[in-house]
Amino acid sequence: FSYKAKKNTIYMSVNQQDLDPDSTTDVEVVTDTEEELIKECEEIWKDMEECQNKLSLTGTETLTNSNAQLSVLIMQVKCLTAELSQWHKETPEITPLTEDVLITLGTEEFQKLRHDLEMVLSTIQSKNEKLKEDLEREQQWLDEQQQIMESLNALYSELKNQFVTFSETRIFSELKTKMLNIKAFKEKLLSTLGEFLEDHFPLPDGNVKKKKKNIQESTKQLITLHEILEILINRLFDVPHDPYVKISDSFWPPYIELLLRNGIALRHPEDPTRLRLEAFHQ
Amino acid sequence: MSVLRPLDKLPGLNMATVLLVGSEDALLQQLADSMLKEDCASELRVHLAKALPLPSNVNRPRIDLIVFVINLHSKYSLQHVEESLHHVDASFFLGRVCFLGTGAGQEHHCSLHRNTVLKLAHTYRSPLFFCDLEVEDFRATMAQRLVRMLLICAGHVRGVSALNLLSLLRTSETPPPEEL
Repeated sequence: FSYKAKKNTIYMSVNQQDLDPDSTTDVEVVTDTEEELIKECEEIWKDMEECQNKLSLTGTETLTNSNAQLSVLIMQVKCLTAELSQWHKETPEITPLTEDVLITLGTEEFQKLRHDLEMVLSTIQSKNEKLKEDLEREQQWLDEQQQIMESLNALYSELKNQFVTFSETRIFSELKTKMLNIKAFKEKLLSTLGEFLEDHFPLPDGNVKKKKKNIQESTKQLITLHEILEILINRLFDVPHDPYVKISDSFWPPYIELLLRNGIALRHPEDPTRLRLEAFHQ
Repeated sequence: MSVLRPLDKLPGLNMATVLLVGSEDALLQQLADSMLKEDCASELRVHLAKALPLPSNVNRPRIDLIVFVINLHSKYSLQHVEESLHHVDASFFLGRVCFLGTGAGQEHHCSLHRNTVLKLAHTYRSPLFFCDLEVEDFRATMAQRLVRMLLICAGHVRGVSALNLLSLLRTSETPPPEEL
């Protein structure tokens, strides 16, 4: 069992030994610190060699599948207990903190710190750049949106104006004036028509030569062409489905002929005594 | 005679050596390349072997970690590994041995059951990893893990010994009872 324990202290020192040769790479260290460190390393190396010699004296054993588990487990237990006791015993040694060692350690730390800070700086700078770009982009977007807003507002106010002037009373008065205008125009047309008809189609003067014997029918008072037309127009608009007017004696026959021949009036297809006005408006 | 012993020589400065044992040369070579690509402060050496015992005429540094690579596609590789295990000193099993099973991804090619390898690792109380060494990403991750293990076994990591690591890694629990 003591062999195993020794073996395990060897394990420990073997594990730790590898660290020390690495730390003697400080070229700037003053000679005596260096010498001290080298001395320490050499001592450790001597210990190592001793342990190595002792190790090579221990025998070897191989395992078979049947005894493997048990023996390995037992071995592990022993080694772990030995390691544990070793850890308990050992106190950590620090390298003597002479000025030179402190300086080198300090410079190392500062260099590391500087490196880290430089990394942080570059990260932050790139982040900054990105944020600036983002800000610019957002600003542009905002400007565009504002422009859109303005044009929309203008459009809205335009439309609003149009809408506001669209009130009822205004329409009403407009319609009224329209009607008055149309009425006036109609009056004008009628009066012009009347004048025209009077000028060019007067009633016959002196009337028909009266043959007291032949003419038994008392000639009624003849109405003007204007009046005939009026009768026809009124009939057409009052009774659209039967716009026929009976020809009465007050119609002067030549004028009737005139109307018929010029297509202004039409005879009833079955009744020659009836007339209608041609429907010019349809 | 030629039983492999841990700590049989003085360590080289800043050096860590790993021995990969397995019957498939190509896989071992690929794994070795991936391990050497890893970035680490110490100098890595990778030795490849088809089976133990190693020829004794070669001058080699002390081995810090042995990785037994078992290909689940061939029973032959398991046989080889089992025979080689007899040439390893018992003290290696204090955390300096691990088993690596490859090819578990292709179920229909596997002639070995996972449980067989589990049992083997359990018998020797050593950690077992499964990794498809043919897939590059898995191989790279596995190489990283192995390098870290190697550094601890070689003593380059302060405060953790190979045995500590072993107790930290959960060694395979009792494999499930054989399915009939």
